[in-house]
Amino acid sequence: MKESDEYTQDWKLSEDIKTGFAVPENYFKGIENDFSLNLIEKKLPKNNVFEIPKTYFEEFDHHIIEKIKPKKGKIINFKKIKLIPVAATIALIIFFGTNFFLNNTPELSSNEIVNWVDMNINTISSDDIAIAFTDINFDDIDPYFTIKSEDIIESLINSDDIDFLIEDANINEIN
Amino acid sequence: MIDEITLVKELQKAQTKEKAFKKLITEYKERLYWHIRKIVISHDDADDVLQNTFIKVFKGIDKFKQDSKLYSWMYRIATNESITFINKRARERNIDITEMKQEMVSNLQSDRWFSGNDIELILQEAVATLPEKQQLVFNMKYFDHMKYQEISDILNTSVGGLKASYFHAVKKIEIFIKKKTH
Repeated sequence: MKESDEYTQDWKLSEDIKTGFAVPENYFKGIENDFSLNLIEKKLPKNNVFEIPKTYFEEFDHHIIEKIKPKKGKIINFKKIKLIPVAATIALIIFFGTNFFLNNTPELSSNEIVNWVDMNINTISSDDIAIAFTDINFDDIDPYFTIKSEDIIESLINSDDIDFLIEDANINEIN
Repeated sequence: MIDEITLVKELQKAQTKEKAFKKLITEYKERLYWHIRKIVISHDDADDVLQNTFIKVFKGIDKFKQDSKLYSWMYRIATNESITFINKRARERNIDITEMKQEMVSNLQSDRWFSGNDIELILQEAVATLPEKQQLVFNMKYFDHMKYQEISDILNTSVGGLKASYFHAVKKIEIFIKKKTH
């Protein structure tokens, strides 16, 4: 019998003295509900209507194992770190310069600048940077020197934010 | 079927943890996926929630005391993760959870991973209108054929309470479908 344990555990037995047969208390009330539910359930669709990509479950294991593997600390090339702000500065100079000469309304949102830098960062080569900053000796930079990511985060937190840089640039233009 | 007690022991030992975890994923990923999918509806969301579920299991297995079955414990994590996911989405959209669920179901028509016909879509809409507990009980009982005792272990609700929830859920679904189709 389906879920017989529940009947004996949850319901007290009531006994018919004449026949000696017993049924769980509330059995007849319960059977009406069960019958009514059965009728409704039979009318309802039961197919699995959700589909998945064919190889989903085969690939899932790999994804999850990759995610739980302990991550190794990232080694950041100092030369790169040095070049990112330099490249960003050049991008800003080019952007402000062009904007100053071609457009008389140099009001820019930080988003516009960030997007522009994102779009153009790959087109700036190290040669462009070397040409723009002839007074910097790039040989002084040790390419094998590494710094911790925590130090970078701390440095960024302590540095001026982009809005401050824009404000500064606007003041320079006005002057 | 794997031996649950041995598996838990392996999962709690650093040397055997990763290997045992692979076994655990193989054993439970499909069942947990389908449980989650019925709650969050879309495949992509179910994938995210399933991954989060396994990550939580991996991180929390050391604290698992075997007071309940591993299977029930994992189902409970999957259920909580799914509900948290919907709540978070609702908060982001600044709408209440019922509205969020209805919106999720309304996206089914254009969902490439949904193959249901009109009546099957109406059934999903009806399930989305149910209160959370009734929705969970209906899915677990009707679609997953789980026993009340198993559902009780997962949802921490008495068998009697679950029977009542299921009864109300089915009745409400019937009324919803009748209204929609007449």
